[in-house]
Amino acid sequence: MPSLVVTAHTTAQAIAAERGNAVVKAKSLTIDNQVGAGDCAITIQDSFTPAPYVGVDAPGAQVIDRFRALVEAGDIITWGEEDLRGVKCLGAMLVDSDLIKATCYITVGYEHE
Amino acid sequence: MLELVPRAQFSLVIPPKLLQEGYLVSFASDWPSTHNAIREKTFRIDAVNQVPYDRSYILPTGAVGTLYRDVDFSNGSGAFQESIYPENQNTLFEVLLGFKPGNFLSHWYLPAGKSIHNLEYAQMYPDLTNADRMYLGARQPKDSPYEDPRIKLYFVKDLAPLIMRLYVLAGVDFEKIVVGLTINKCLMREIAQPTDDQKLKAKVIRYFNYLRW
Repeated sequence: MPSLVVTAHTTAQAIAAERGNAVVKAKSLTIDNQVGAGDCAITIQDSFTPAPYVGVDAPGAQVIDRFRALVEAGDIITWGEEDLRGVKCLGAMLVDSDLIKATCYITVGYEHE
Repeated sequence: MLELVPRAQFSLVIPPKLLQEGYLVSFASDWPSTHNAIREKTFRIDAVNQVPYDRSYILPTGAVGTLYRDVDFSNGSGAFQESIYPENQNTLFEVLLGFKPGNFLSHWYLPAGKSIHNLEYAQMYPDLTNADRMYLGARQPKDSPYEDPRIKLYFVKDLAPLIMRLYVLAGVDFEKIVVGLTINKCLMREIAQPTDDQKLKAKVIRYFNYLRW
């Protein structure tokens, strides 16, 4: 299972690229906000452009929130596969935050299925 | 308490899912005259080549029956055409099709606009705008799983367009529909005068009209 660590940022950080024949499923998520002041609200986002369909030749790009959690300063929280069951990204998986914090580490494990 | 299991009296042989080299196929007499090159003829498969091809479509859900995607398997440069029909008279494409799990269903039309899965009572035809009849004749992912596809299609040159209409069920915002195709390219050689035995052994491929009576 691949995983990636990013830091909290108000610009969404890419975790897993979109794959044509698979979805991206979150398998584990750890948010380490033990150091420094400031609570972090972290969102897993799904970024994709739908295929053309009847009456719409060029649908617009979509960014949809799939999971959101608030981690208070001083906390570290881990979610396992059971907790994340159903968190599925149709396109690319991104992680967004409500503030920029270089000491808030977000580790995401994922799989293309 | 003590048992000697007797030797099995038969063995189960599961035939291959796809046509193999040396297999025989024949095209029934119900094929129209536009397909005279194959109509009522028997062929031997001289070569096969399996070509896997995954396609996917992210589609939104919407009010009943209003949003769907037509997948046209015929050849061309249209936005919805997949171009997986043969271009040669002596080629047969046998296609296995399976779906990855998801909240969607598919309706089938051949040619465009004519459903394959009508019943006989009036209005009993698949209809995405009707909350009940949207499930009539619908093929769902469980009917033909990606890992064990059960939908099989036969394409020859200039066959009328086969349309698969994909529709995302209510309850999700979007769905990714992944369609796994295995295109078994079969090179055919005509047997000018097939024997009765060859005719019996040949797999008969009928024109799609036989599905409607």
